[in-house]
Amino acid sequence: MEFKDYYRTLGVGREASADEVKRAYRKLARKFHPDVSKEPDAAERMKEVNEAYAVLSDPEKRAAYDRLGSGPPPGQDFRPPPGWDKGFEFTERGFAPEEAAGFSDFFSEIFGRMGRGQGFTRAHAGEHHARILLDLEDSFTGPTRQISLQTPKVDDKGHLTLETRTLNVKIPRGIRAGQMIRLAGQGAAVRGERNPGDLLLEVDFRPHPRLQPEGRDLHMTVPVAPWEAALGAVLPIDLPGGGELSVRIPAGAEPGRRLRVRGKGLPSNPPGDLYLDVRIVAPPADTPLAKELYEALRAEAGFDPRKEWREMR
Amino acid sequence: MSDEILEGASLTLEQFCAVAALERAWLVERIEAGLIPAEGTSAASWRFSGATLARVRRMREIERAYDAAPELAALVADMLEEMDRLRARLRRFD
Repeated sequence: MEFKDYYRTLGVGREASADEVKRAYRKLARKFHPDVSKEPDAAERMKEVNEAYAVLSDPEKRAAYDRLGSGPPPGQDFRPPPGWDKGFEFTERGFAPEEAAGFSDFFSEIFGRMGRGQGFTRAHAGEHHARILLDLEDSFTGPTRQISLQTPKVDDKGHLTLETRTLNVKIPRGIRAGQMIRLAGQGAAVRGERNPGDLLLEVDFRPHPRLQPEGRDLHMTVPVAPWEAALGAVLPIDLPGGGELSVRIPAGAEPGRRLRVRGKGLPSNPPGDLYLDVRIVAPPADTPLAKELYEALRAEAGFDPRKEWREMR
Repeated sequence: MSDEILEGASLTLEQFCAVAALERAWLVERIEAGLIPAEGTSAASWRFSGATLARVRRMREIERAYDAAPELAALVADMLEEMDRLRARLRRFD
């Protein structure tokens, strides 16, 4: 087991006061907040910081942790000395059990002794939930996906451990981000309860290179040449669910013009729409002929791109 | 295996508490203060959606990390939700 230096994680000395620990935690919680942090490994770092704070902010846990000393020399395995935790009864405060269950092996070995029969098992009687990341295409094809679930479990000795289960889940067609899939009877097994509860899977999509979902609708940006926008064109568009569709770009389409293809969004009931945002791409003037054509356009078109702009004051 | 899509707000108070590992009193207090959306008029008829899970997680983290007043945590959650919407729109123009 790898020893965790919680003082180092929070960047405080072993003699730091409760107030200093709190201040250090808040500073790091802001730095690694997954919604705002620019750090690439923010979520992982936030988990470490939370774990360190869960221990160092709790006087009992901190006292027990301090009794372990500063860990073995680097590279050596850590084993807690026998009987080191005598006289401590840990209770979980502030952190949700599922969150605490995601902490390191070190944490669950040392602090995983939850008071038996306390809030943890009760809170988990019944339903359990997990998140599942799908590809947008999955909503069209309704495939069967294998997922690994880590479920917090309290063993006979009262240790909180993570149990890994593998489930095959049939993804319903038309599924959208933010929806939940209910798997009856697949929730965490609870001691003392005969029937496990349901498992709720919260659905989200991986970012798609071309398509952005919005509810049941899909948005796609379509690059078009200036002449296609000006003169109109019929473009072949690959549909996310497979197949191809011919879409007519009307003559005189402006940049940002949005076209709606009814019923070609996610296949829910009713199906969503597919929105195409027209983006006009100018060809490069990188050959003598291209330059010549641009010259001709400049000479002949009488186009003033800044007419309206000059009036904006 | 029977799979079922849960549409919109469909979790009861008890289910939602179990799923989010929340204490009932914590949640009820914030719903009654209008900080967390719930469809329905009384605790027995309240229904919650999956989207509310994310909001509740954020509020709980902010409250815990900064000993923040629930109203402040709700304000932060409002802003993060607005940021999510704007980021989603921004991705469409990238």
